[in-house]
Amino acid sequence: MNSSSPATTCTPTILCERAGINDTTRFLAEYSAYLLGCGATTMRLEMNVNRMARVWGYEADLFTLPRHIHLTLRDIASQETNTVTVSVPPVPINFAVNTRLSNLSWKVADGKVDFSDAVALYRRIIRVPKQNDILLMLAVAAANAAFCRLFGGDIAAMLIVAVSTFCGYFLKLTMLCHHIDVRLTVIACAAVSSILAAGDYLFAISGTPALAVGTSILYLVPGIPFINSFSDLFNRHYICAFSRFLDAVILTGCLSLGLCIGMALMKISMF
Amino acid sequence: MDASLTLQLLQDGFFAAVAAVGFAAISRPPRQAYIWCALIAAAGHSTRFLLQHQEIFPGLSGIVAATTLASLVVGILAVLCSPIARMPAETCLYPALLPMIPGMYAYRCFGALAVCVLHPAQATYDKYFYLFASNGMVCLFTLLGMVLAASVPIFLFKKISFTATR
Repeated sequence: MNSSSPATTCTPTILCERAGINDTTRFLAEYSAYLLGCGATTMRLEMNVNRMARVWGYEADLFTLPRHIHLTLRDIASQETNTVTVSVPPVPINFAVNTRLSNLSWKVADGKVDFSDAVALYRRIIRVPKQNDILLMLAVAAANAAFCRLFGGDIAAMLIVAVSTFCGYFLKLTMLCHHIDVRLTVIACAAVSSILAAGDYLFAISGTPALAVGTSILYLVPGIPFINSFSDLFNRHYICAFSRFLDAVILTGCLSLGLCIGMALMKISMF
Repeated sequence: MDASLTLQLLQDGFFAAVAAVGFAAISRPPRQAYIWCALIAAAGHSTRFLLQHQEIFPGLSGIVAATTLASLVVGILAVLCSPIARMPAETCLYPALLPMIPGMYAYRCFGALAVCVLHPAQATYDKYFYLFASNGMVCLFTLLGMVLAASVPIFLFKKISFTATR
């Protein structure tokens, strides 16, 4: 990292090189938008941004909207202000990036990196390598099969759930790769997984066919958006909380619709 | 505790750990997080299993109360482990909570709502509206209890929670 002599004194204790207010606001707004996009709570967002802003000699006011971040920086010394609004990028939830971005904020706060290094590091962090899709599908299939067991399913039901989850998740990755709407994707995946799992009813493979069908779609439940929405609610970020909750409810509605379609096609009842 | 209950408890913990690791993979945590997610999820889910098995809390409130207390365990463990694993508490916390998300209640709630709309005859409607309301409320209160209990340790140990990545 850069160890050149500092250009500006930002706080009484930490010396660091800082950029102008325009560049800093733009960077911090992009940073917070990406952090929000990859699944951070509003509380962490505020903590990280304020931590970096203070070190560079600014006060930050963050206004978190469902799809935008509105950031105002005020120079503590000159009282100059600047506001930037950026869109939240449509990135998947990624806790590894979340961890590295939080770590970056501490590096800035501890004076280990200056502004230009922080920007370079940020760009490197958000260049996420592609995940191994086969491993991911196997992991999700195993997880859903384990879920089936937790609800009382037998070994045969677990195998059926694993296969239907694997196929459903493959469809999900393929559809999302082709930029098909996520709601349509969830409906299609739920329908496919439930139809495959309903094979258990047709061929009487396991002793718990209802559980096999019921758990075959649980991999589509938007668990983290649900948890994040309530976390934002407790942090009194009601707009963000409501938006995340509504997103999660809509996806749950979509998966229920997909399940209903699958069950109707296979002529089985949910209750 | 008899041997069969111990075995059931271990089984519950093991499958919760597998579920947590698999679902954690979707949210791409750092590699070192998987082992913590598995251990914390196993501890949390076993706690819930034990609380539900002992039937301390009656009826539908059983799952809500048991999940809330188990989430508190998960929250405390996640916060205490985060400085050791050097990652935000949420990275372990959220995947560990996923096996306790009341997904079945959520989609049964929507399913019952669909039947209500499709079959407006009063007897059917009353039955399915009850299913819609009961499943919806269990889902909502379980989620509320879960997140509230899991977040309490983050607020209580703020210094540990937010300096873990330092």
